Amino acid sequence: MPLFGKSQKSPAEVVKALKEAVNALEKGDKKAEKAQEDVSKNLVLIKNMLYGTADSEPQTDIIVAQLAQEMYNTHLLLLLITNLNRIDFEGKKDVAQVFNNIVRRQIGTRSPTVEYICTKPEILFTLMSGYQHQEIALNCGTMLRECARYEALAKIMLQSEDFFNFFRYVEVSTFDIASDAFSTFKELLTRHKILCAEFLEHNYDKVFSHYQRLLNSENYVTRRQSLKLLGELLLDRHNFTVMTKYISNPDNLKLMMNMLKEKSRNIQFEAFHVFKVFVANPNKPKAILDILLRNQEKLIDFLTKFHTDRSEDEQFIEEKAYLIKQIKELNKNATEH
Amino acid sequence: MSANQKESNHLRIPTPEPKGAQTPPQAGSPSSSHILTAFLKPIRKLSPVLMPPGSPGIFRRKSSSEITPLIANNNNNDKFSDVPSSKMATASANLPFVGWPNSKDDYELKEVIGVGATAVVHAALCRPRQEKCAIKRINLEKWNTSMDELLKEIQAMSSCHHENVVTYHTSFVVREELWLVLGLLGGGSLLDIIKHKMRTSDCRNGVFDESTIATVLREVLKGLEYFHSNGQIHRDIKAGNILLGDDGIVQIADFGVSAWLATGRDLSRQKVRHTFVGTPCWMAPEVMEQDHGYDFKADIWSLGITAIEMATGTAPYHKYPPMKVLMLTLQNDPPTLDTGADDKDQYKAYGKTFRKMIVDCLQKDPSKRPSANELLKHPFFKKAKDRKYLQQTLVAMGPSLETRVQKAAKRQPGTSGRLHRTVTGEWVWSSEEEGDMSSDDESRVKPINNIQHSDSSGSETDLAIGDHGSDDPINLVLRMRNSKKELNDIKFEFAIGKDHSEGIASELFGAGLVDGKDVSVIATNLQTLIENHRSIKTVVFPLNSGSETERDEKTLVGFAQISITD
Repeated sequence: MPLFGKSQKSPAEVVKALKEAVNALEKGDKKAEKAQEDVSKNLVLIKNMLYGTADSEPQTDIIVAQLAQEMYNTHLLLLLITNLNRIDFEGKKDVAQVFNNIVRRQIGTRSPTVEYICTKPEILFTLMSGYQHQEIALNCGTMLRECARYEALAKIMLQSEDFFNFFRYVEVSTFDIASDAFSTFKELLTRHKILCAEFLEHNYDKVFSHYQRLLNSENYVTRRQSLKLLGELLLDRHNFTVMTKYISNPDNLKLMMNMLKEKSRNIQFEAFHVFKVFVANPNKPKAILDILLRNQEKLIDFLTKFHTDRSEDEQFIEEKAYLIKQIKELNKNATEH
Repeated sequence: MSANQKESNHLRIPTPEPKGAQTPPQAGSPSSSHILTAFLKPIRKLSPVLMPPGSPGIFRRKSSSEITPLIANNNNNDKFSDVPSSKMATASANLPFVGWPNSKDDYELKEVIGVGATAVVHAALCRPRQEKCAIKRINLEKWNTSMDELLKEIQAMSSCHHENVVTYHTSFVVREELWLVLGLLGGGSLLDIIKHKMRTSDCRNGVFDESTIATVLREVLKGLEYFHSNGQIHRDIKAGNILLGDDGIVQIADFGVSAWLATGRDLSRQKVRHTFVGTPCWMAPEVMEQDHGYDFKADIWSLGITAIEMATGTAPYHKYPPMKVLMLTLQNDPPTLDTGADDKDQYKAYGKTFRKMIVDCLQKDPSKRPSANELLKHPFFKKAKDRKYLQQTLVAMGPSLETRVQKAAKRQPGTSGRLHRTVTGEWVWSSEEEGDMSSDDESRVKPINNIQHSDSSGSETDLAIGDHGSDDPINLVLRMRNSKKELNDIKFEFAIGKDHSEGIASELFGAGLVDGKDVSVIATNLQTLIENHRSIKTVVFPLNSGSETERDEKTLVGFAQISITD
């Protein structure tokens, strides 16, 4: 078992050895098998320095600092990530583990690795493109979500053109990859509230035209997840401006009304939580009001019968009653104006 | 869900965030919404008869988000699980073989080999590869837990490549179903084999010999060692989650995605009861306590319980309702081979080394338990043999796939139904849809909450009936066999202060659901349960109508069970 042996290599030596091994692996010549072995071995060495093992504590801060510095100097992280698909199964996991540990490293309030990645954003773009490759997608996903916890890194990702690739990634056919991409996507759109709100405001048209496609996806999971996220985005008060804009568009209302009638009860239910915002809006634009008025009776009837078996969900019952009341009173409001 | 969470998501047009107001980033937890709350809220109804034995997840799944920081907050380094099936060859086309396709048309579904709460498992053929596999079809419409939870479990699976861990190939969405493509193991679950052996031979002095137990557990430990080195905790090690291949290979299954492959196979009554009683039988004390979270040592406890299960056929406290199990586990000394024995020499054939190994695993202080790696070095495992041996002792002895299939298939349409009273006081019987059993989840989740009650009240015999809130009727289910010996669930409500046990029992008789001879015994036991509903959730009692010769408490032959379901 113990791959780490007698000799305690210095951080510089391990990083150098790993770098050479990855380079050899990249060349893919005859020695590839040996290279693979060296990559695994040195990754484990680094991992153990950072995390310790059952028998040994993690290395001291000084050693870890040297190790990190060595990694920045040699751009080892980028090298590892660009060659991730060549590294074996367990090695891929080790890369992500090492990466995440190094990203999390702090000196006081500073996060040196985050600062380093800001100067080397290719790391982020390479990771994002990892979703195109089945065998590394989820490894890249964990690393991306680690990065997304830092506002500076999230900002780089959000503001890059590559971000819009997520709209494709969340729909790939392999469920675990699509869902993983969705978690990262969601993290980027919700984690840093002010950043996210600004991003959504500034890119409203582009984001929501892409988003529309997700809501109309053929994939049930995509539909259900994106609808749920939409509800969360709109109900987050940081996104007030975005919400106001969204609920002023009659096409969006129509879409939600159609989704209320979907076959899937879960989708109906999620749609309800977006639909309710249109109705609860005290300043409904005329176009919205017109649609609601035109369907007034049908809506009242529909809502009265809507998910009546959710008798334990008090909030839902209350909200539904509120909506019915609002819709009933619509006429009055309209004539008052 | 906390009150303020509800508050914050309440139906209200949000007001704009004042400029400059900073919201501190919430570590790890995305702001959860009412929608999630709604997902977690089960719809009512219950048909535990259809629950596959050992379909474990929900009890654990739900609590996991609360009590296992290691797994739940997988943003940190402790968990490391996100690796796809490297067998897929889409991107790196240098792999010679065909990957596992993501299209349903590439798979030929064969016989059903398992039926679970939200899932059906088929044997299948992957056409392009000409390879057998198992396909678990999870109905996502019936999946009421969050999708993230599902994803976490699948990622945990896909980040494992180990011969003692079930192989995950790929997963994809087919209309409203999620199809998981998995390795197919022909031997069924260890639980199937235990039950089969207990039915077909005399197991009074033990189910398996020590060599068999050592061989199986050593393989399980190797899988666990890998798991733990990955930073994962299985959280539900038990015979029902250990699968056997035709070649004697042993694999750990069920990462919590509701019922797993073989766990759904043999739906014998006993296991149903097991399920109903729930997974706490295998649960480590620190997991029950919930205050400190727990680590991989929890799996070692479960392994110790599994060792007892392999020797005696059941987990030590299997007779008791979940809450009682929790109390016994927390308050008593750790169980041993003899804990559930009828007489004290019953298991004397098992030796010291084996007993010592169990004692090592079942130490209340998790830090004193050995790690998987250390345990593998225990002298007991010197008794372990190879796969061939298991092929002879387990696979060849086990129930045939056909038997299991028949059982799984036979029970699909509900023998379970719901008896409810209409406003006019009539009893109406309606059968339930298979799989709509979300509140069963709840019933198994509840005991966890209740233990806190009983802790705080400090008394097991707390009779505070009024506390229940006199308006809230108690939901109950009477499980017993009908005249055709089929197990039925009869559900009813009991409104404290309005209903009387005798009255209900007579009504059950009047509706033709119970024998006249049983009216008084049902009434008595119902009364006991109602009076102690804070501390007891289940009563099992003999019926007067049962035959004297054929009686078995475990399988409810000549016995009935009343349980509180909410």
